[in-house]
Amino acid sequence: MTVDVVNYVSLSAVVFFIGVAGVVVRRNPLIMLMSIELMLNAANLALVAFSRAWVNNAGHVFVFLVITVAAAEAAIGLAIVVAVFRNARTVDVDEVARLRG
Amino acid sequence: MTLLDLLWLLPLAGAVVLWALGPQLGRASGALGSATVLASFVCALLLFGAATAPTPLQQTLLAWIPGFTFGLLFDPLSLLWTLIITGVGGLIHVYSIGYMWSDKAIARFFAYMNFFVFAMLTLVLSDNVVGLLVGWGLVGLASYFLIGFWFYKPSAVAAAKKAFVINVFGDMGIMYAVFALYAATGSIAFADIFGKAGTFSSATLIAICLALFLGAAAKSAQVPLHTWLPDAMEGPTPVSALIHAATMVTAGVYLVARFAPLYSLTPTVQEIVGIIGALTMVLGAILGIAQWDIKRILAYSTMSQIGYMIMGVGVGAYQAGVLHFFTHAFFKAQLFLTAGIIIHALHDEQDVRKMGGLRERMPFAFWAMLIGTLAIIGFPLTSGFYSKDAVIYGALEHGQPVLYFAGVLTAGVTDYYMFRMMFLTFFGPYRGEVPNDQLAIATPEGAAHAEAHAASHPPAWLMQLPVAVLIVPTIVAGYVSVSFGSGPSPWTRFFGTSFSVANSVAGPVLPIAEWVSSTIVLLVVACGIVAAYLRYGSPAVQGAAIERLRSEATGMPAPLARAFWFDDAIEVALVRPAQALGAAIDRFFDPHVIDAGVRDVAWLAGALGALFRMLQTGLVRGYALTIVLGAAAFIAYFATLGALR
Repeated sequence: MTVDVVNYVSLSAVVFFIGVAGVVVRRNPLIMLMSIELMLNAANLALVAFSRAWVNNAGHVFVFLVITVAAAEAAIGLAIVVAVFRNARTVDVDEVARLRG
Repeated sequence: MTLLDLLWLLPLAGAVVLWALGPQLGRASGALGSATVLASFVCALLLFGAATAPTPLQQTLLAWIPGFTFGLLFDPLSLLWTLIITGVGGLIHVYSIGYMWSDKAIARFFAYMNFFVFAMLTLVLSDNVVGLLVGWGLVGLASYFLIGFWFYKPSAVAAAKKAFVINVFGDMGIMYAVFALYAATGSIAFADIFGKAGTFSSATLIAICLALFLGAAAKSAQVPLHTWLPDAMEGPTPVSALIHAATMVTAGVYLVARFAPLYSLTPTVQEIVGIIGALTMVLGAILGIAQWDIKRILAYSTMSQIGYMIMGVGVGAYQAGVLHFFTHAFFKAQLFLTAGIIIHALHDEQDVRKMGGLRERMPFAFWAMLIGTLAIIGFPLTSGFYSKDAVIYGALEHGQPVLYFAGVLTAGVTDYYMFRMMFLTFFGPYRGEVPNDQLAIATPEGAAHAEAHAASHPPAWLMQLPVAVLIVPTIVAGYVSVSFGSGPSPWTRFFGTSFSVANSVAGPVLPIAEWVSSTIVLLVVACGIVAAYLRYGSPAVQGAAIERLRSEATGMPAPLARAFWFDDAIEVALVRPAQALGAAIDRFFDPHVIDAGVRDVAWLAGALGALFRMLQTGLVRGYALTIVLGAAAFIAYFATLGALR
């Protein structure tokens, strides 16, 4: 039995918004990075679903690129977190508001 | 490079070289300055035949756009002015080498003088109204430079500013006329303008001619724009001789003569020109009798004589008016230069009250000044006799009996003030040692001796030779207007058809012959001389000179002492409101509007900055929320847009 593409896309949307909520609400940078990964993967899910539905391999290819970028971005993000921690000695994002105008 | 180009540009080259290398040249700058002007004079002589040919010499310099061709025109009118500018000017340059001998800025002086000659040549050689306007403005600038030459004297600076401002006021008129002429004809060249003059509407003609005359009145010191001329005597005497006697102030006469084809078509404006000329003629003479500074006497005399010229060209007697310009240039320059010799010898004393008895001390100056005086009063057989009578009779010929009588009466006043000057300067006891307060002189003692004399004095011939040379035309220049034999006089033949629409009689004319008119004038002149002698010249009067001068100085009637209140009227009507406006702007507008505006712009920048600073919280989560909300709004917008379609 084939699952309608609507279900996949709704799941993708739900996961995406959970990710958004995580970025906005949580104060721990590691949790924020994980939420960002959630958002990216939600997008991947939507891409694969549509790609399957329209029988078009472009979506699959795009997903590969997204995964790569997400990995690189996660690495850099973690490096920034480490550098910030070394200077500010805290991982609470609200405490590191030194760019305040 | 034609001869005409050379004529025109040599003085400019001289000015540039003198400006650049002046300090190195020192007194040699005098020789260079004189050489360029005299070389131009030679060029003018060489081109005499070309200028008086049936088709005068015309040379296009720059054909820019159709209707805008700049060129030079060398016809009898411009030839005459050029000969005077370069000839008399050259002599004055030589004289200045002596006069400015011990002045440290002698090079700057000759640079300015050469620049003036160039500017004046531009004015008279242009074949188009724009070139004329350029020359017009440049001579005003040169006059400003030269009047204020001794710029450390506040009075000189004030006089220069006054001359310039009044001239600019007149420039408005010329500019309007240039624009109007271009609008009416589509061209700036004289040839095109005069060709189409018949097609102008009456209103256009009147407006243009009046506007042109406004400029002429300012430049030629006609009432009521005359107040700058007496003050212009602050400049060195050669400047007074060249600019404010022989050439620049006659630019107005040149203008009216050049535009004769236009003026001949507007009898209304011609009348106005004639009346203003006559008014100036009378006013200048009346004020001349009340002056104590020898240069101011000559300045008011110039104003009066130019009034004669303007009256002449105004009524349509172009040849007579221009003849008077011709003779006046010689005798007035010669009078000024002689006055300069006297001033120089007396160590910068200019007040005639402190002169006297110079007849024995300075015989050359005495005879020179006497000959000049005889010319200016129109003594028979001098040049002034022919030109003055021509102008006065011309007024009668062209149907202006009132102006005629004004001219006759002014002749009487003219010789009265000239002989007053002669008697006070050359006769009676020498009053140079008399204390100033005994003569009712206001300036403090020793003020006239400010320029302490350097060790070196100029060779006397430098100042005497130009005067001697000028004495010859002072006597004979008028003879060109006499026709020996049956044909027209050389003067008439010289001008040919230059004033083709001139000399037309308008209105009723008193039927007296020219010799009768001349006799009437001579009788009036004789009365004037007798009156001057009785008041200033007779031995009895000379004995009591000091007391008489003091009483005359203190008892000067108010209209004469205040020069008919022209200066005061301008002060009250124009100068004080302008100064008050300036003060008000300084006190209110500047700090509260201009400065406030600048301050408010700065404040606005700060306020906007403070406003936008509130967005810079530094909170990462806040930024993330902003991104989310913005994305949501974006998507909502395009979703509704798509849904509506």
